[in-house]
Amino acid sequence: MTADRADHYQARLQELKIPEVEKPLKTEYHCDVLVVGCGWAGLNAAVAAKETGSDVIVVDKGTPGFSGMSAFSSSHQWFDADFGDDLDACLKEMQIGNEYIANLDWYRQWAKYSKMIAGRLLEWGILTQYPSGEDSGHYVDGDWRHDDLRGYREEFAVYDRRNKWIETLDRFSIPWLSRIMITDVLEQNGQTVGAIGFHVPSGEIMVFKAKSVILCMGGGSFKPAGFPTGCDSFDSDWIGYRHGLPIVGKEFDDFHFCASYAPGNVLSCNSWQYLENIWLCGGDIREQRIMGRARGITGSLLVPRINACLNGLMPYARTDTVKSTGRGKSSSEDPKDLRIGKWTSPLPKGDAYGAAVGMQLHLGCGIYCGIDDLEGKTSLAGLWVAGDGCNGSCVSGSSYLNSTGFTSNFCSVQGYIAGKAASKYASSSPLTEPSEELLEAERNEILRPLQTKQGFSPNWARDQLAAMMSPYWVTIVKTDRSLRNTLAVIEEFRDEVVPKIIARSPHELRLVHEMYHKTLCAEMKLRASLERKESRGYHYRADYPYRDDHYLCYIAIEKGDEGMRTRQIDIKPEWKGSVGEDYFTRYPVFRFPGESDSEILSRRSAQQTLPDDHLPEKQS
Amino acid sequence: MSVIRVDLNKCIGCENCWNICPMDVFRFDYKEKKSIIAYPENCQSCGQCYLHCMGHSLGFSDESTSYAITSVR
Repeated sequence: MTADRADHYQARLQELKIPEVEKPLKTEYHCDVLVVGCGWAGLNAAVAAKETGSDVIVVDKGTPGFSGMSAFSSSHQWFDADFGDDLDACLKEMQIGNEYIANLDWYRQWAKYSKMIAGRLLEWGILTQYPSGEDSGHYVDGDWRHDDLRGYREEFAVYDRRNKWIETLDRFSIPWLSRIMITDVLEQNGQTVGAIGFHVPSGEIMVFKAKSVILCMGGGSFKPAGFPTGCDSFDSDWIGYRHGLPIVGKEFDDFHFCASYAPGNVLSCNSWQYLENIWLCGGDIREQRIMGRARGITGSLLVPRINACLNGLMPYARTDTVKSTGRGKSSSEDPKDLRIGKWTSPLPKGDAYGAAVGMQLHLGCGIYCGIDDLEGKTSLAGLWVAGDGCNGSCVSGSSYLNSTGFTSNFCSVQGYIAGKAASKYASSSPLTEPSEELLEAERNEILRPLQTKQGFSPNWARDQLAAMMSPYWVTIVKTDRSLRNTLAVIEEFRDEVVPKIIARSPHELRLVHEMYHKTLCAEMKLRASLERKESRGYHYRADYPYRDDHYLCYIAIEKGDEGMRTRQIDIKPEWKGSVGEDYFTRYPVFRFPGESDSEILSRRSAQQTLPDDHLPEKQS
Repeated sequence: MSVIRVDLNKCIGCENCWNICPMDVFRFDYKEKKSIIAYPENCQSCGQCYLHCMGHSLGFSDESTSYAITSVR
């Protein structure tokens, strides 16, 4: 379909004419701490920085509470030693289930702050519990066309957690601006001096001069077969890469499991999860349950997904409904323990998770802050990162084997810590004015797609990219050939199409910038996947269908003098487990297709030496 | 899959759709006090506008519309 025809959608024909949007009265702001993106991480970062005495401003590409992934969270886990939670068991599960590359130091950091953070969210009303769809009488059969979804929302509107985001910001007197797309951090003499972007509806340039900036912008993923990709725009990866920061975990970056095909209607898959309260979870990891959980979560989902791709997808039975029955429930059996697990009303799901908007494999990739970092401080002075897809802390390693509801709490913890740290930094740093030359260059770059008259539609380009990156041979069953072939097409697209994408409206200006970000991350994902010549967790290489402990590292992508550079970052020995252990003891959870037949694996189990040409080159 | 208009007369001008859409699909006519489905091709079918529409002016369609990024899963 051409761009012109897109103007004549039936949906649009009945509508009033699109009006021009008034420009914001104020386009330049000063503050101590600028928080970009206001989901779980951003909200907690903003409040923590404010409590520490900083002047804080929050900006969001949408509206706080409703944008990104946070609007779709349906569970929240916290660690509670008072009810017998076992940290050693949790760490062991993280280590085995996430295949020995999970950042266990960040996990310990999470456990330390987790309960306190959940307590704050309870106090702010975000975790308030109210009757479920089934209990309220609004539920019929889990089909969004039959259930009284709007009646339910209206009856319990006072509890709608999304509104609590803005209520909390207002309560702490934190100014917030919606519909601002930040496209870059302002760097001057190796220091962060603010951020720049534009007001999406009007296209007006917005400048934020700040002593420190915290990016809490989420991430993105390339969906296996067309999951809703709207928010998957990788805005923070783009910014980090531009400023020379390493981006890690791209080879694992993927959506949750899907092995069927069906209409991708988010509302139909997520209706009750979206509307009901956030279910309180945690305390369900005990030593004796580790292997069962690992097999259940990783083994029973990941391998069938790969096999479904190899053998073909199954049709999706829309009428099936599945009820969550206490998944993530605490083992404490103590009536005072609030963590009752997840009890969402039955939803049509089949074998596919219901496509939360923008969801990626949680907490496995993003901007890397260093092996010892525990606050999200990047190597660019004054810049912090927090939250899912933004801070590449790799707490999830390769597989996101965590208990239900981990991400919303972990992001909140990361935001809180980053907020305190950025605020402390700001208290001893002067506000530096960005030079007019810097601002002018940034302004020109932002607005260029609006000024170019001839080129390609961002919607068309988005579909081209999705068609290149979504096939299973790019994301799920990778080989050297499939990755190199796709990389060649992406490079062509990057050089020939992306510079010519134009915006016919401020609305499209956002889409054009998102295309820059997505294309960059497509290349990152392919290069990281080529570099990791083994299979581990979500990264399955059909040509290397086994774990290879030479790759107990993170693959970092950085900006080099001649394009993208890839390097391996070694991880802490204590995260790696017993490296010399027998292969089958060390990897007990599941076998990748082809793994048992692998010649190299046979040699290893017979304790023979690996061929030299197989070993990866180690870099510092 | 996208948001559709069921009845523009039912739009009470609450601005919820225009305020909360994460994909910038809506605009608002402050003179007419009505919302506008301006860019349905970028609807990601999350349904937040539909669920929060106070006048029940908006609906939801199972039909795919051109660029819908959610046409298959």
